[in-house]
Amino acid sequence: MVTVKLKPLGEILESLSGFERVFIVGCQLGSARCRNGGLREAYRVAGYLELKGFKIVGVKSPGGTCVLDRLDHSARSLLNEIREAADVVLSLACGAGTQLIAENLPIPVKTGVTTLFIGAEREGRYFEEYCIACGDCVISNTGGICPVARCPKSLVNGPCGGAIAGKCEVDPNLPCIWFKIAQRMEQIGELKKLRKSVPPKDYSLSVYPRKLVLEE
Amino acid sequence: MTFRDKVLKGKFVITAEVAPPRGTEWESVVEPLKPLKGKVDAFNVTDCQRSMVRMAPLPMAKLLKDSGYDPVLQLTCRDRNRIALQSELLGAYALGVENVCLMTGDFTTLGDQPDAKPVFDLDSVQLIELASRLNSGKLLNGKELKGKVDLFIGAVYNPFAGPEPLQVWKLEKKIKVGARFIQTQPIYDVKLAKEVSSLIYSLGAVPIIGLLPIKSLKMANFMKKLNPTSVPDSLVKGLETAEDPASYGWEFVLDVARACLEFSGGIHFMLVGKVRELADFIDYLKNHRDYSVKF
Ligand code: SF4
Repeated sequence: MVTVKLKPLGEILESLSGFERVFIVGCQLGSARCRNGGLREAYRVAGYLELKGFKIVGVKSPGGTCVLDRLDHSARSLLNEIREAADVVLSLACGAGTQLIAENLPIPVKTGVTTLFIGAEREGRYFEEYCIACGDCVISNTGGICPVARCPKSLVNGPCGGAIAGKCEVDPNLPCIWFKIAQRMEQIGELKKLRKSVPPKDYSLSVYPRKLVLEE
Repeated sequence: MTFRDKVLKGKFVITAEVAPPRGTEWESVVEPLKPLKGKVDAFNVTDCQRSMVRMAPLPMAKLLKDSGYDPVLQLTCRDRNRIALQSELLGAYALGVENVCLMTGDFTTLGDQPDAKPVFDLDSVQLIELASRLNSGKLLNGKELKGKVDLFIGAVYNPFAGPEPLQVWKLEKKIKVGARFIQTQPIYDVKLAKEVSSLIYSLGAVPIIGLLPIKSLKMANFMKKLNPTSVPDSLVKGLETAEDPASYGWEFVLDVARACLEFSGGIHFMLVGKVRELADFIDYLKNHRDYSVKF
């Protein structure tokens, strides 16, 4: 999922100064899952803004704010609702959702979150970056564990010389992912595969902005 | 004889490390090396070590060369993509800087400008392969080069890093794609230095054992923190009881150095604080009846 982090309320307040009627849009996918921008957080921010004198004209959290169809369905268009009632939108959706709203509305759209990463969740509170969407997935060769995303240097030919006692040289609170990869490859009987040199990565595949177009 | 010739002929080599200045005053870096002229075979010029900005290693290497020293240009993957790395290596060879030691490099956030963008387009294995490719007259993309390139390629190895067997395999990869000499992290244990040397020899390169004189107990503890198994207890104990810890630490390293003459291809002093003492030690080795044959 895409994880986001709610900005400090003071910062949100500042970005809305000069506006009156605020429509708050969250997202029930990533933002809600990591409890930093779902319906619950949207209401919490609404309460705070009301106390500060703003008029909250709507609070909604679609199940996928980055899907235009969810924002602008012919039967019930959230975008129309916003257009009629608000003079500013506060979005708690990820960068994609927020931009999609902005692209389709004539009024200003402010973000109340920072988009962090594509991550995995455990126990409802630990979120870790697992994928950097490099466009050239290698994890079939590394035991299903990504060294491109989970080693700060994105090393693909094995660990660096700073991998001491299982820890990463970059942050001692972080395990060196190559220890996990070695363990996993051993477990599945593929350790030997790591002996082969891996050629340089094709970074042209991660030149943004990227597109995916489906055949009709 | 140059550093390269010596390594290739199986002579024992002595290298040392030089950090370019933080600024432009390069003379103050080169001047103190005088006693080592003709004694140390080559000087590794570090590449913004620990991610702190210093003068670029290539101009520093060239300045050293012009001052009569044989440089080893260290180049990391931290700040340059493959385009920059290729052009840097071509420039190095054109300037007569033939020896290179190629490595991944420390991470950006460990330095004093942690907000910098890390590059790491290639890793050390790929960088070594790239240098070999230049030596074969071609760029990474296969295009022919104008003029000859004949870099003498080296790499690094840290015997204290894990996991096994990946570190050894990575070393093997580096040697397979063209590393001819391997400089190690500091080793204080003769038995380990011997094991590491035979490992590197068995993989087809020449080992140069890293030596870092410990100046104080504080420094030993700092090293231990970075790399818990690298500093043996005997060294710590000796430093604790020594009247003059700095000279104790120095002698300790010289003992390891002497032992290395028996089984390794060279030694690499990673801190040239004691220039005079180092020069004397090298003289002593070269004049010693047991050791002189090695040089
Ligand atoms: S210690 Fe491991 S995870 Fe950290 S930078 Fe080195 S190889 Fe990558």
